[in-house]
Amino acid sequence: MSHKHFKDSPLFIPSSYLTTEANKTGSWRFLRPRYDEKTAPCAVACPAGEDISRVLMLASQGLFKEAWETVLVENPFPGVCGRICHHPCETVCNRAHFDEAIATHAIERFLADTASRNELKPRLDRLPAKRERIAVAGAGPSGLAAAYFLALLGYGCDIYEAMGEPGGVLRWGVPSYRLPSGALRNEIAQIVELGVRIHCGNPVGEEFLGRAASTHDAVFVGCGCGREHGLAAAGEDLPGVEDGLELLRKVAAGNGGALEGPVAVIGGGYAAIEAARCVVRLGGKAILIYRRRREDMPASREQIAMAMEEGVEVRAGMAAVRIEAQSGEFLLTLREAQAEGGDANAGTASGRAAGKTDTIRVGRIFRAGGFDAAEQWMLPPPGDGVLRLNNSVLVFTEAGPRVFGGDLVNTSKSVAHAVASGKEAAIALDLLFREGIDSIRPELERCSVGGRRSLSMEAHMNGPRSLRSSAVVRYSEINTDYFRFSPRLTQPRLLKGERSRSFAEIDLKISANLAMREAERCFNCGICNQCDNCRLFCPDLAVVRDQSPLGRRIDYDYCKGCGICVVECPRNAMTLEEEQGPEYRGGEKD
Amino acid sequence: MELDVVDREYMYCGHVACAGCGAAIAMRFVLKALGEKTVMAIPACCWSIIAGAYPQSSLQIPVIHTAFETGGAVASGVRAALDVKGDTETTVITWAGDGGTFDIGFQALSGAVERNEDFLYVCYDNEAYMNTGVQRSSSTPYGAWTTTTPSREWKKMRKKNIVEALVAHRIPYAATASIAYPEDLVRKVKKAKAMKGSKFIHIFASCPTGWRIPSEMSIKIARMAVQTNIFPLYEVEGGVRYTINLSPRGYLVKEYFGLQGRFKHLAESDLDQIQQMVDEDWEFLQRRARAMPA
Amino acid sequence: MKKVLEGSHAVAEAVRLAGVQVVSAYPITPQTHIVERIADFCAEGAMNARFLRVESEHSALAALIGASSMGVRTFTATSSQGLALMHELLHWASGARLPIVMADVNRALAPGWNIWDDQTDSLSQRDTGWIQLYCETGQECLDTTLLAFRLAESVNLPVMVLLDAFLLSHTYEPVDIPDQESVDAFLPPLRPRIALSTSAPRALSQMAPPNVYMEMRHSIQKAMDETAARLEELDAEFMERFGRRYGAVEAVCCADADIVLVTSGTITGTARQVVEDLRAAGQKVGLLKIKLFRPFPTTQVREVLEPVPKVAVIDRNFSFGATGIFAQELRAALYGLSRRPEVFGFVAGLGGRDVTEKVVREIYLHARDNAAPDSEAIWVGLSEVSNGA
Repeated sequence: MSHKHFKDSPLFIPSSYLTTEANKTGSWRFLRPRYDEKTAPCAVACPAGEDISRVLMLASQGLFKEAWETVLVENPFPGVCGRICHHPCETVCNRAHFDEAIATHAIERFLADTASRNELKPRLDRLPAKRERIAVAGAGPSGLAAAYFLALLGYGCDIYEAMGEPGGVLRWGVPSYRLPSGALRNEIAQIVELGVRIHCGNPVGEEFLGRAASTHDAVFVGCGCGREHGLAAAGEDLPGVEDGLELLRKVAAGNGGALEGPVAVIGGGYAAIEAARCVVRLGGKAILIYRRRREDMPASREQIAMAMEEGVEVRAGMAAVRIEAQSGEFLLTLREAQAEGGDANAGTASGRAAGKTDTIRVGRIFRAGGFDAAEQWMLPPPGDGVLRLNNSVLVFTEAGPRVFGGDLVNTSKSVAHAVASGKEAAIALDLLFREGIDSIRPELERCSVGGRRSLSMEAHMNGPRSLRSSAVVRYSEINTDYFRFSPRLTQPRLLKGERSRSFAEIDLKISANLAMREAERCFNCGICNQCDNCRLFCPDLAVVRDQSPLGRRIDYDYCKGCGICVVECPRNAMTLEEEQGPEYRGGEKD
Repeated sequence: MELDVVDREYMYCGHVACAGCGAAIAMRFVLKALGEKTVMAIPACCWSIIAGAYPQSSLQIPVIHTAFETGGAVASGVRAALDVKGDTETTVITWAGDGGTFDIGFQALSGAVERNEDFLYVCYDNEAYMNTGVQRSSSTPYGAWTTTTPSREWKKMRKKNIVEALVAHRIPYAATASIAYPEDLVRKVKKAKAMKGSKFIHIFASCPTGWRIPSEMSIKIARMAVQTNIFPLYEVEGGVRYTINLSPRGYLVKEYFGLQGRFKHLAESDLDQIQQMVDEDWEFLQRRARAMPA
Repeated sequence: MKKVLEGSHAVAEAVRLAGVQVVSAYPITPQTHIVERIADFCAEGAMNARFLRVESEHSALAALIGASSMGVRTFTATSSQGLALMHELLHWASGARLPIVMADVNRALAPGWNIWDDQTDSLSQRDTGWIQLYCETGQECLDTTLLAFRLAESVNLPVMVLLDAFLLSHTYEPVDIPDQESVDAFLPPLRPRIALSTSAPRALSQMAPPNVYMEMRHSIQKAMDETAARLEELDAEFMERFGRRYGAVEAVCCADADIVLVTSGTITGTARQVVEDLRAAGQKVGLLKIKLFRPFPTTQVREVLEPVPKVAVIDRNFSFGATGIFAQELRAALYGLSRRPEVFGFVAGLGGRDVTEKVVREIYLHARDNAAPDSEAIWVGLSEVSNGA
């Protein structure tokens, strides 16, 4: 006998057979988050507009080649700038408000050195070749940069350089203990690799401007400041009174000679400091004389400190008023400059009039007080037909357009500004050729980093950076909960005693480990570094991974607009804005 | 941040938790740590709703919804059933709010722990009866507004220390965790899963709706609760071995309170008093940890 | 095998034979002997079950709800306060359609503390969706417990087996304990219709909005509707296998009766004797024993009582503000008849006061000698007490 089987009795209970995915909770939203990469303050401060937050992000991930290429898009001279740039990026670095600024320059140099050591060839975006050719006067940083950017844009360039080697002030004005010529040579070689032709030992004069019209469609003038403009001191024209620039040139050529005894270097800028430091290395006792206060010296505080560590005696607040020759030496009379009515008067004749004097005996005198164009034609003409841009001046002539760039047209005379002027010139010429003069200002504005003075070539070439918001990330917008205090990299250097004994490079190389660790300290202001916080903390699983460059997107069918992703993004790479309604698709940049 | 967990989700979108719900975030992390061989009992709480109404479920594991007081008891029954069928691998977890843990569910929890039932009890704590409209529970902190402790009658009882109450049972494992510290949370859940006997994890889960904070501050507030030592992260093994996981810089309580509407009625003197209470509790915890280290 | 057993132990034997897998219980006099015997069985390996010694009755039923949801056979026992404490979960168990079996030893509700026989505890839970089966003898306790599992699992409704405090639970009677093989043939291992599993995850008992809740409730009633018929079939099968049957009701000498006594539980045993004696004295009296209380056996009750002029219901329980509960249910069941008896409702034996033959006889005489009751509920044997003391 088997037991009775019953038909199943009715059984309707609360249980599940569907998921909640049928509920499109995105309809709840009144605020909408979106990925909105922004501009980092370092990129704004960098005259060359380097995408520094991204460079450091790539470096921290060990993607050194990619990081290096990211620099090269905006600046052909990472190895140079990493060594000698005044790094305004570090001055505005948001991390400084947390613990210490990132040592960006050290990483930039590391990337260039690593690429060179491994003989890497960069993969750069280039536009197709164009027919126009541009003639460049001067193979200094601005001319080389202009040619480099023009080459990226597809234009052929010929650079005419007076000296036997290219580089301009980089080769002939910066001593090798700051910038070894090998590092410079590598980077110039890469410019040549793009097809740029450099004609050395080929000085050009004023007629060059007109002559070039027959062979080239435009001219770039980047001749730099080659002439010392004098001290207004009696006796400065005496034979034997030398130019600091000339000393630097000789040192760069390898025949600085030997010095001994007290040597005066008059001036307070970069050239003066370096001349003084060369004097020490050549055996002399350098006395640096500067007419204003030490804090007014254009040279960087660090440079001055290093000069003093090497034995340079700095006498600030002393103006050179008279030079007399005496038995093969010089008597140099200095007067204490008392500032009347404040700083403005300090350098004036009336300012110099007051104060006590001091006369010193020196074996040599080098003037390095300030520099101007060697010849008048190297400067842009005054008057109409001139378009003054941020770092260059565009002049329209019957013989074709001319762009003046570099130190001669920049109040800030730095290698980064030189690169900036080369880039600006290249973009301006590209626009002039392709679209006409009226397109220049709007396009430069579109390419500007953070809406300020620097330009991005990547933006001009419509790379991903052109989509980035120009809002500049402030420290208050960083979620510092995700960072721990960690000290800034200490740059390894030659011991103090060793430095002044030779022209060997003072800053030593750092390991990849150190470079990555330092790069990791970067907040990566404004850009996504794939930290995944947005996806991790989303209560609604509305951030999904995908194949896009950002690696993720927001599923607006379910996103309730809580905004946690935006707050927990440590680097303000997202924005929360009012939901405009289902028809509004703007802001989603995929 | 890298979480050392399987990069798989055990929750579906489309659940009806409030925007910014800390309890939803807590569930996500806990399930990642537990995986799919898990049976969950959910007594009455916000998650009774978030888990989906008939015929939906927002979770990819089997769930049994139960009455309010029964979290510990139902889990005991589920465990017994699995054991008698020869399955000692599947994790049994009770997922309850603070009301169903500290108050009405305390007896069943205490009973289950005293019997050392082999299950994990997770209390996600949003510090009031949120599902019914922000009424006070014994987990509501000293000083908070709720609908049953309105501003002039704000709660003047201290938050019940549930972890210490269970530690007194010599529970094999009890720990606090926070949605703002996911790696720590996941580590603790995995640690608990690997142990036999009763395990309790007390998760701090922000509630924008009930705490009167903007929804985007959910994680940040949770982090600050830890950083002010109001909700310290620590674990206790066997009821005797203490490990404090984090010794934060100790942000001021008033900074944490100042961001939340539920505390805005407090006067400066109240905040000072509360700061003293927090400092005192933190000191006591440290003393216990020193006296009974892991 | 015949043994002399307490009613409690008879229940325990049935639980053992049924192969229950999870037991969860909290002690309360006079249920204790049931669970103590089960604890022994588990300890000595006679039962392969998990025994949860929970910390309250509410948790006991909660634990079984958890266990039963996983698809195992479950059992608990309680009384009085414990059953009252379970109230919320009684609703839950039936709403969740779980085939839980519970023995309730009918005991009075406090205050004042009273551990003796009274049916108000289980009857005041009559709305909770549990099937209720009342027992008269120790044998019936064992048999009903076995039937309960089979019935519960066939309709997916929880079943309460009722036995009187002390009069059944602690009274020794001869009980035939069937062998395991016969029981297995009658009650095979559980094939659950509800069982959570990690391989096919789903949620149970989640929110049910107005658009579905009514249908879910209706489903419970539809299962209840099938219960009486299923019980009858199971009864017949049990008869075939074990030679005993009980039915939803049992009518004794009702065919030509002028008055039928309606009883449940152990009072039935006493009433049988009284009816036999009265018949011997020429009184046309009958006895209707009600075993199945939920679902109320309306059809069977109507069939037996329709031609009967008078009915005397003996309730060892009361619903305040109304009447004795069996009387109330009976009146409602008879209402639909065009011809129906005069129903006298008597309340006796509350709090364990003895319902002796003398009491039953008095009830009979009152019904016989009065045309109609002078109140809806006639309390039997009350003493004078001072009010407001």
